Amino acid sequence: MKKSHIATLLVFLLLIPATLFLGTKLPGRGFYITGTAIIIELMIPFFMAFEGRRPQARELVVIAVMCALAVAGRAAIPIPNFKAIFAIIMLTGIAFGPEAGFMVGAISAFASDFFYQLGPYTPWQMMAYGAGGMLSGFFFAKGRLPQKPLTMAVFGFFAVILWVGPLLDCSHIFLMLSQVNWSGVLATFISGFYVNITQAICTVLVMLFLGRPLLEKLDRIKVKYGMMEDENGL
Amino acid sequence: MKYDAFSKCHPAVNFLFFVGAIGMSVVIQHPAYLLAGIITGAIYYLLLNGKKGWKTILSLLPMFMILTVINPLFNTLGATPLFHIGSRPYTLEALFYGAALASMFVIMMLWFGCYNKVLTSDKFTCLFGNLIPSISLLLVMVFRMVPNFIRKTQQIIGARKSIGKGISENATTKEKLQDGGTVLGALTSWALEGSVVTGDSMRARGYGTAKRSSFMIYRMTATDWILLTVMTLFVSLTIMAASFGQFAAAFVPNVSIAPVSWGLVTYICYLLIPTVLHVKEAFAWHISRSRI
Repeated sequence: MKKSHIATLLVFLLLIPATLFLGTKLPGRGFYITGTAIIIELMIPFFMAFEGRRPQARELVVIAVMCALAVAGRAAIPIPNFKAIFAIIMLTGIAFGPEAGFMVGAISAFASDFFYQLGPYTPWQMMAYGAGGMLSGFFFAKGRLPQKPLTMAVFGFFAVILWVGPLLDCSHIFLMLSQVNWSGVLATFISGFYVNITQAICTVLVMLFLGRPLLEKLDRIKVKYGMMEDENGL
Repeated sequence: MKYDAFSKCHPAVNFLFFVGAIGMSVVIQHPAYLLAGIITGAIYYLLLNGKKGWKTILSLLPMFMILTVINPLFNTLGATPLFHIGSRPYTLEALFYGAALASMFVIMMLWFGCYNKVLTSDKFTCLFGNLIPSISLLLVMVFRMVPNFIRKTQQIIGARKSIGKGISENATTKEKLQDGGTVLGALTSWALEGSVVTGDSMRARGYGTAKRSSFMIYRMTATDWILLTVMTLFVSLTIMAASFGQFAAAFVPNVSIAPVSWGLVTYICYLLIPTVLHVKEAFAWHISRSRI
């Protein structure tokens, strides 16, 4: 068995139940610590698999470039508060596969928080963007979904509304509410809705107008240098 | 940034301190400890940021108020209803509870703010360079590329403007987006081509052929060991105090708070470590300068 597989099993069978058990014994914001610890533990197998594979220099640099583009992307578009970060993560997932999508999502969330402000929400953001990138890589792999601007836009819209946004709202639920009950959860989701819908619309706009040309550029690199193509299965 | 003695310590000391400070602040909801956390956190934050720090601290105040008054809307437990909204009571106890939770949030934001200033990206990668070599190399590259890409973006925009392709002041959103797309596309092409060159250059220099050693600018000095010992001491004392139930505080349905005891002193001592270091260094500097 591979090292990362053992790590995955350990995380799921031991670490997470142990965290849940200990978490119930913590006073105060115990559930925030529990939730965040589980989010971090869930990311461990991915990072370990990446480390264990000993990625090649070219692959490493391409992932770094995509992360930096996702973080710096907002400098290129002259519209205030325009968040292109998730769109670029999605495109990376689509072009370079689920694993690259996850790495770019998680790392760019972390790096962008380093540039703006790290906070209690950082691990949640990493997970949300990372899993979002991975999902898009998974859904668009091997022509499962056509790589057309409209499909990508619809997918991006629902990925933000149904996954990235709610997961970030969850960090607020654990952070702000004294009692996790339906009315509180609902209120958090409603108050987060505006932010989520703006981000979803930004993602849709990027996909519709820039999705095709950007994807072509990523594909071109793949073809020209024959890299990032050893995706085995999924 | 101003000179800060704690920032000059070993990154591991910095990191462990913040894990302790933020970790404890999340689980303790006793009002005296919360107050201690806010004051110590704010002092160190101000020492790190100077006058600009006040702006952040004042901006946390409305956040505190909102979180406090919102809590009773969702948590209706509590013995003394102040008034009713529909059939739901708005209770005093829930209001206190909201204040406690809001204080926790403020403390967390303060310590995270200090963390941002103290544990810079180079320290982070230095700390985890051996544990996660590929990922920390990735992070180092990202931290270098982001400012680089922003600069390049400005160059591309400038170049487009000088050949008459820039966007006008009153461009529509669609035009702005299309122009941004062209710039982003140019940036992407340039960056990806550059990445292949960098990757090949790394390979040519032997990346991946052997275990990578990492350059360590920090060494554990005697001060660092003393600090670690002191930190461990205070944390264990605080945890001991917690096991005696000194931190117990319940707000709903009735307010019941344990009396303040010696645990508060150890907790404050722990949180004051960076401040004391900073002030001590400032005094030493002042004295040695006045001797000249």
